[in-house]
Amino acid sequence: MTVLILTSEQDVTADMVVAELNRLGVPVMRLDPADIPGKAKLSADYAHGDFDGHLSVHGHVLSMGGLRSVWVRRPGEPAAHAPEPSAWLTAETKQALYGMLYSASTAWMNHPGNAEQARHKPWQLRLAHYSDFAVPPTIFTTAPRLAQQFAETYRDVVVKSASGPPPDDPEAALPTTLIGPDADFSTVAAGPALLQRYVPKRADIRLTCVGERQFAARKRSAPGQVDGRYGETGHPWEAVPVPDRIAKSALEYLSLSGLAYAAFDFAEDEEGVWWFLECNQGGQFGFVELETQQPIAEAVALWLSWRRTDRRVPTPPWLPGDRG
Amino acid sequence: MRPFTLNFVRPRALPTVVEPYSYDASLQLNILGDGRPAVADRDLLLAVGTTTSTAGSATHFDD
Ligand SMILES: Nc1ncnc2c1ncn2[C@@H]1O[C@H](COP(=O)(O)OP(=O)(O)O)[C@@H](O)[C@H]1O
Ligand SMILES: [Mg+2]
Repeated sequence: MTVLILTSEQDVTADMVVAELNRLGVPVMRLDPADIPGKAKLSADYAHGDFDGHLSVHGHVLSMGGLRSVWVRRPGEPAAHAPEPSAWLTAETKQALYGMLYSASTAWMNHPGNAEQARHKPWQLRLAHYSDFAVPPTIFTTAPRLAQQFAETYRDVVVKSASGPPPDDPEAALPTTLIGPDADFSTVAAGPALLQRYVPKRADIRLTCVGERQFAARKRSAPGQVDGRYGETGHPWEAVPVPDRIAKSALEYLSLSGLAYAAFDFAEDEEGVWWFLECNQGGQFGFVELETQQPIAEAVALWLSWRRTDRRVPTPPWLPGDRG
Repeated sequence: MRPFTLNFVRPRALPTVVEPYSYDASLQLNILGDGRPAVADRDLLLAVGTTTSTAGSATHFDD
């Protein structure tokens, strides 16, 4: 039974997991959907009420009957490396590849349907409520007056984007920024703004969850620092224990969202409370493992190689049955 | 009218490091110039920043 890793060739974080799978003696195929058609080949047949499919790349061959699990890491767009790429070719190739993988009985880290829903930040906050995390008051709005009111109520608020910096400009960064009620909110009408109460922060926390295993890491903030990713603090990431209450909430969140893997960001305040900021369904973990020596790649490899008696992916009740 | 959130865009220095490894299709791993797997050199991985959260946010939605 083989583990399939969908990712780009340059992804060295995937290398960390491939090395662990090799150590465990578990067969693995690594494939970038961007290489179909071309370097990687695919065929699936549906006949006589039965199904089988195959993938091959660089002499490695995988039959759908021998597929143990799929790790969706950093896959390219299907057909992106084709000699004549097009939106249509990507759509056709996506149908062929993901349609075939959905037909197989396999475990997903993470199922693309669940991943797609889990990327929505407003939904993340709601799920965090249900999971009993502490969530800072937050507003998403296109109404300047409501944005202004929010800032007047909470005084110190941060602005951040829900989807990241503009994807068409590789030189643009969009760090979380602290603002006050005096900002000019008129342009909130031109695009939904995400405002959140500022958490006076002692540290940033990253909680990486692999199935039921949890790895927490903490990085002290510099005084007055807002976005933990910008500005060198001289403080390293350090492994810390997971508080029981957080562990329980994180398990609940994974179960409600149908995710097998997730990396949570929290802000730790002066009282030691971990405030939920977001949950990255495909969050990076290499930097945490390299700094803290926590065995996350090994945990991912073990999860992917685990023999399951029931390999169906449960559908959370609010996901539509037909994912189109 | 420029959306409010875009007022907070900052320029980002693009990393200029050339990744000192290349992909070996039969091993399915990236390999250093001296033939060792890239994952064997943890200091180098940290230095090139390929596995960090900021690197992810620059290239991919799911950092
Ligand atoms: N409400 C907040 N109070 C204090 N710091 C915050 C707050 N929201 C975000 N940050 C800081 O900004 C960083 C990025 O914010 P986050 O919510 O994780 O969004 P993303 O990583 O998608 O940009 C966090 O890791 C944290 O350091
Ligand atoms: Mg984050």
